[in-house]
Amino acid sequence: MTDPLELPASARRPRQTFELEETGFNEVPKRFRRFYRRWRGAGDKLGPNEALCPVCKVVIRSTKELRAGDRVYCMPCMSRLELVEEEGMLIAKVIY
Amino acid sequence: MQLIAGERCALAASSGLVNAAPDQASKTFLATQTLDEGRHVEIFTQRLYDLGVKPNDLETTIKTYINPHLGKFAEVLLEKIDKKDFVAGVVGQNIVLEGMAFSVFEMLHAGAEASNPKFAHTLSGTIADERRHVGFGENRIGELIRRYPEKKPEVQRMQREMTKHMLATFHEAFARNGSPAEARTGAPQKDRAGPTYQGLNLAEASNEEMEGALSATVLKEFKTRLGRIGLEYQSPV
Repeated sequence: MTDPLELPASARRPRQTFELEETGFNEVPKRFRRFYRRWRGAGDKLGPNEALCPVCKVVIRSTKELRAGDRVYCMPCMSRLELVEEEGMLIAKVIY
Repeated sequence: MQLIAGERCALAASSGLVNAAPDQASKTFLATQTLDEGRHVEIFTQRLYDLGVKPNDLETTIKTYINPHLGKFAEVLLEKIDKKDFVAGVVGQNIVLEGMAFSVFEMLHAGAEASNPKFAHTLSGTIADERRHVGFGENRIGELIRRYPEKKPEVQRMQREMTKHMLATFHEAFARNGSPAEARTGAPQKDRAGPTYQGLNLAEASNEEMEGALSATVLKEFKTRLGRIGLEYQSPV
């Protein structure tokens, strides 16, 4: 087994990129709206470019695939988050 | 009615916290929160007027129908605010009270989305404000609890008291609303999928089931939020 973090940067799989469309989320200024969407509850499956804010339960979206160690910002609740991998899942943790 | 009482408590608490805040950034945020809470009091009061309450009867109506447990819940919080205890005040206001309001509004929103779009729209604006309030509570207190760990036992005691009154408020609210589930949405709609909250069909659920779903959701949220900022959830039972 190889640890992707141990591989040289050039050998790592490039991040997928995503086109973000409007989702009807209107709680932040217009230019930032496509970066967020409402969470639809426990059955809502997150994409590889999405993370759930544990504070306000809004889904944060990125134009690139998210990975452990990435930092994201939740504008609706003003929380700074860092992504960590737990039990094979990406979880957002608040940075105080 | 209970929404107005809760929002009035939040208005008194957030305005009181402005002067207790130890730094300018917190004072500024709490001033914006005070404005939000004032707006919530106004819109829920207007809704009461829309439902037929006369402005002259507002105070007596609130006094008559306020859930006594909610009054006690507010007293515990406002006592901390009176003592200018910023850490306990923010945990009580922005984590316990706002955390409870967040779940209650989401449940009401789920129930009203199809049947009462005007009220659902009002609630979605309120939910957006609550996101900022709980965000401030967690971020600010997460840092302060690390700096003042000696505050933990007192804050946890307050949380236990507030949780006890909150659960009693839910119990009485759902027990008082003793009509069968179909009365909330008109006729029974077995052939149509009703609004759902936490997997519960609100059109068909009994009052006990709704109380159980709301209490479980709020308590789970408390436990997670308090754990994140370094506090241990205290069960009132």
